Amino acid sequence: MVNVDALRGYAADLLEKGQVRAVIGYRRGTAGVLAQPCTIDEAGEAETLVWDPTCLNNLARYLVEDRQQQAAAQTRNKTPDGRPVAIVAKGCDSRAVAVLLQENYLKREDVVIIGVSCEGSGVIDPRKLAARPEGRWASRVDFAGADAFKVTVGGDETLIPARDLLADRCLECRAAAPALNDVLFGEVVTERGLDEPFRAVKAAQGATEDARWATWEHHFDRCLRCFACRAVCPMCYCPECVVDSTTFVNTPGTTAEEKATRIRWCERSASVSESALYHLTRAIHLAGRCIDCGECERVCPVNIPLRLLNTKLEMEAFEQFQYEAGRDFGQASLLSSFRDEDPNSFIR
Amino acid sequence: MSKRTGVFVCHCGKNIAATVDVKKVARELAKDDGVVFCEDYVYMCSDPGQGAVIDAIKENDLDGMVISCCSPTLHEKTFRDASELGGLSGFRCEIANIREQCSWVHKDPDEATDKAIKISRAAVRRVQRNEPLDPIGVPVTRRALVVGGGIAGIQTALDLADAGLDVILVEKQSTIGGNMLKLSETFPTLDCSQCILSPKMVAVSKNPRIRLLTESEVESVSGFVGNFRVRIKKKAQYVDPELCKLCDDCSQVCPVAVPNEYDEGLTNRRAIFIPFAQAIPASFTLDEAACLGLKPVVCGKCEEVCEAGAIDFDKRPTVFEEEVGAIVVATGYDLYGMDKLGEYGAGRYADVLDGLQFERLCSASGATEGHILRPSDHKVPKEIVFIQCSGSRDPENHCAWCSKICCMYTAKHATLYKHHVPDGQAYVFYIDIRSGGKGYEEFVQRSMEKDGVIYLRGRVSRVYEQGGKLRVLGVDTLSGRNVEIAADMVVLAQAMEPSKGTAEIAKTLKIGLGKDGFLAEAHPKLKPVESVTAGIYLAGAAQGPKDIPETVAQASAAASKVIALLSKEELHHSPTVAKVRDPYCTGCAMCVDACPYEAIGLVGGKAAVNEVLCQGCGSCVGVCVRAAIDVKNVSQLQIHEMISAVLAA
Ligand SMILES: Cc1cc2nc3c(=O)[nH]c(=O)nc-3n(C[C@H](O)[C@H](O)[C@H](O)COP(=O)(O)OP(=O)(O)OC[C@H]3O[C@@H](n4cnc5c(N)ncnc54)[C@H](O)[C@@H]3O)c2cc1C
Ligand code: SF4
Ligand code: SF4
Ligand code: SF4
Repeated sequence: MVNVDALRGYAADLLEKGQVRAVIGYRRGTAGVLAQPCTIDEAGEAETLVWDPTCLNNLARYLVEDRQQQAAAQTRNKTPDGRPVAIVAKGCDSRAVAVLLQENYLKREDVVIIGVSCEGSGVIDPRKLAARPEGRWASRVDFAGADAFKVTVGGDETLIPARDLLADRCLECRAAAPALNDVLFGEVVTERGLDEPFRAVKAAQGATEDARWATWEHHFDRCLRCFACRAVCPMCYCPECVVDSTTFVNTPGTTAEEKATRIRWCERSASVSESALYHLTRAIHLAGRCIDCGECERVCPVNIPLRLLNTKLEMEAFEQFQYEAGRDFGQASLLSSFRDEDPNSFIR
Repeated sequence: MSKRTGVFVCHCGKNIAATVDVKKVARELAKDDGVVFCEDYVYMCSDPGQGAVIDAIKENDLDGMVISCCSPTLHEKTFRDASELGGLSGFRCEIANIREQCSWVHKDPDEATDKAIKISRAAVRRVQRNEPLDPIGVPVTRRALVVGGGIAGIQTALDLADAGLDVILVEKQSTIGGNMLKLSETFPTLDCSQCILSPKMVAVSKNPRIRLLTESEVESVSGFVGNFRVRIKKKAQYVDPELCKLCDDCSQVCPVAVPNEYDEGLTNRRAIFIPFAQAIPASFTLDEAACLGLKPVVCGKCEEVCEAGAIDFDKRPTVFEEEVGAIVVATGYDLYGMDKLGEYGAGRYADVLDGLQFERLCSASGATEGHILRPSDHKVPKEIVFIQCSGSRDPENHCAWCSKICCMYTAKHATLYKHHVPDGQAYVFYIDIRSGGKGYEEFVQRSMEKDGVIYLRGRVSRVYEQGGKLRVLGVDTLSGRNVEIAADMVVLAQAMEPSKGTAEIAKTLKIGLGKDGFLAEAHPKLKPVESVTAGIYLAGAAQGPKDIPETVAQASAAASKVIALLSKEELHHSPTVAKVRDPYCTGCAMCVDACPYEAIGLVGGKAAVNEVLCQGCGSCVGVCVRAAIDVKNVSQLQIHEMISAVLAA
């Protein structure tokens, strides 16, 4: 079991000693059952930290925001506080941090990883909870071993099988504890009798090509291009998104010629063709980088099953090249490395 | 941006014009924005064709040029040179490939014409955004590396040294000479192989410009044409060749006996030995793997007896770096493994030999001092069968290719046999006789007529031992009869394959291999000694099966290419190199890993390209998800415009 008091104590200690600038973690939410992300910078606030199966967000995204703010402060001629930031990280969050480290976006010494184990289980899918009669009024969800969640409704506690509430990605998760950490709370449970990896994408692949295209055409047609999926993704940190002209970077050195000749690979209108291009480009740019935190799918206001696109590529990476994004921040990245034993005999 | 573009559409005789309506392509292109001149012509690469390019530039004040013709690998340089003569930067001239990528691969004229228009139009859009770049000048290291010390490497090294260049000759064995050193007499003139080779070997050792490194291999290569850096590893040199007096005291006391690879395993040798009396460097050598004394001194007998004090067990391998401007690869061949031809009894019966073993039997320096005797019982074989194409020309089971020299060396072997055993009978099984070459056909005819060699056209199905004889079962397809010969010896004309380690050296040097595993030339007809990497050349059997005359000719050709290259003060490096768009780069270093030429590093957290190392291959562009790196004149904007041009209705 994760000892939440110990976790709070650890965070308070870091802040007290001034070893970190802030701690990114979760606290009780104000609306409904879900915990919410928080940043605390005083030891006294550590009391508010929580860890339970409603801590859905991938907090690594806030490290990206932080680095961008630090960089912005630098350009405003301020000297930013150089101390590291601590982050509460479950398995998927830590994999995201590993990719950020691998891509030199962060330096190892800039982050303190407070690992928390998912107790052989995972986080819940709020939609699955809400679909149950007792779910709507739940005030708390707690881990109850690997196989069940304890859901509190009013004064009553019920046990619900973990399988019924777990987020899809957690059902398929192969590493439900942060391999990369500076300290770890909770046990590492490796035996998990849940779904096989990539089950959902394998099932989706069973359909005919025409049926698959019809499904995706339907989804792309519904996409609002609100870019929530991109905004929540810890890997979508490019200064300029190649498919979105609203993010074009202008620096003092940008010439009029450059401004005039900027490429719009993708038009802004939310039509099927443009949305397809956006999503497929994003999926390809995530190949070997997506750590399957499922955040894009969770935040999509129109429920587009985005995990399928990204996990399809991760599945190829795993099956063809035995590559797992975020497994080790020292590993050579999927797309830029080549080994003799790689498949593709046409490369000589 | 270019505003006055000219377009030429080439017919390439009928190569393009038979499928593509070149007049229509020219008519359509003339309507494009910014195209002020457009014509078709029958042979653009001819003198009048190139003249037309020069004139068109001058008369129309062109600032961009597209030639719709064959592949840029063929004529990009031709037309860029012509553009320069017309006063237009060569980098404002682009090729639209409407031959290999269009007329040759399509049948329907309408579709092909439509595609040719699109390809040409895309090239126009691209060239309109080409920068008029200037070539990057880089100094040249006037020194060459030759890898492999067979006759090919020897000839190349001697020619280079003769031209006043310094040469490093790297050979992995303990002597140079390669396979030729094992041969007895050579077709078609039957002069003694060692007699014609050893003067050249000695010349190598005496030439002050040649630095010979035996027992050495190339570990890695970086850099580029004109400026390569190579890491060479030399095995520990336990016997100092300067001190060794060739007295042979050491091998007398050595207790170890292992098969002598220089004698094709027909004899044994000691752990300390000299491969051949003619070896260069002229010195004994110690075989680390076989020696007992190397491990905390177990034996050490040879060291004790060596009066010259030439032996030192404490020697270690050395690794050093050298700079060279050009590299010639002459790593030679091996014979196809005998173990793969079980049906001919290879590897099972002592008297079934391969061609090189037979050479050693005939050679005065071999095990039998030049007498042809059976390895099993040292008797003179009275009936001998030669099997040609053993492992060659058999795509299903063995090598697909013809090894080219086996017809000739089999005729030589049969002739030599008759000279040694006048009362013996030689039989040759063959598929057909390939004896193209000066004096070659006459040589084969002589073996049949003068030496009574019986040629049987057909394959051998099986060889087995019975009653002290090797029974050879085969067919004679000319008479249609099965034949069975009770032979005393069988010689297999094994296929030639690339020497072991060819694939590794190709990888180290970043040069290509053909399907057959031999080193690939840049163009089968027009660049037969160039590898696909600039500044690296090929010589000898490493590039394909060859006999000595052809090997020597190719070696001299490679040398002349190197001499021409290194005679320049400065080389011009293409300026179409990668360029980082700083604000977009996040310093992820994916491009750094992807670049095969180690041309990118991170400077201040951003990618930075070394323009001299960059070959403009675009690997970095492919991996950068942020589109933060571009290759000049193939920028993403240009690619976008080309795609738009192709997709436009
Ligand atoms: C049985 C037989 C009989 C023949 N008879 C004749 C004949 O009568 N007349 C004729 O014209 N031709 C004959 N030939 C052909 C002749 O042997 C070849 O044409 C010639 O030897 C090719 O020379 P080469 O230098 O290219 O290769 P090789 O002789 O194979 O030399 C290659 C050298 O490179 C070295 N090497 C390999 N890899 C490396 C590496 N990675 N690093 C450093 N060094 C390396 C090897 O050790 C070797 O010394 C015969 C061939 C055979 C098999
Ligand atoms: S997929 Fe969903 S979250 Fe992403 S842009 Fe479209 S509507 Fe927004
Ligand atoms: S791959 Fe792109 S973002 Fe990464 S270092 Fe290279 S240029 Fe910069
Ligand atoms: S184009 Fe890019 S990958 Fe290719 S050589 Fe230049 S820097 Fe290296």
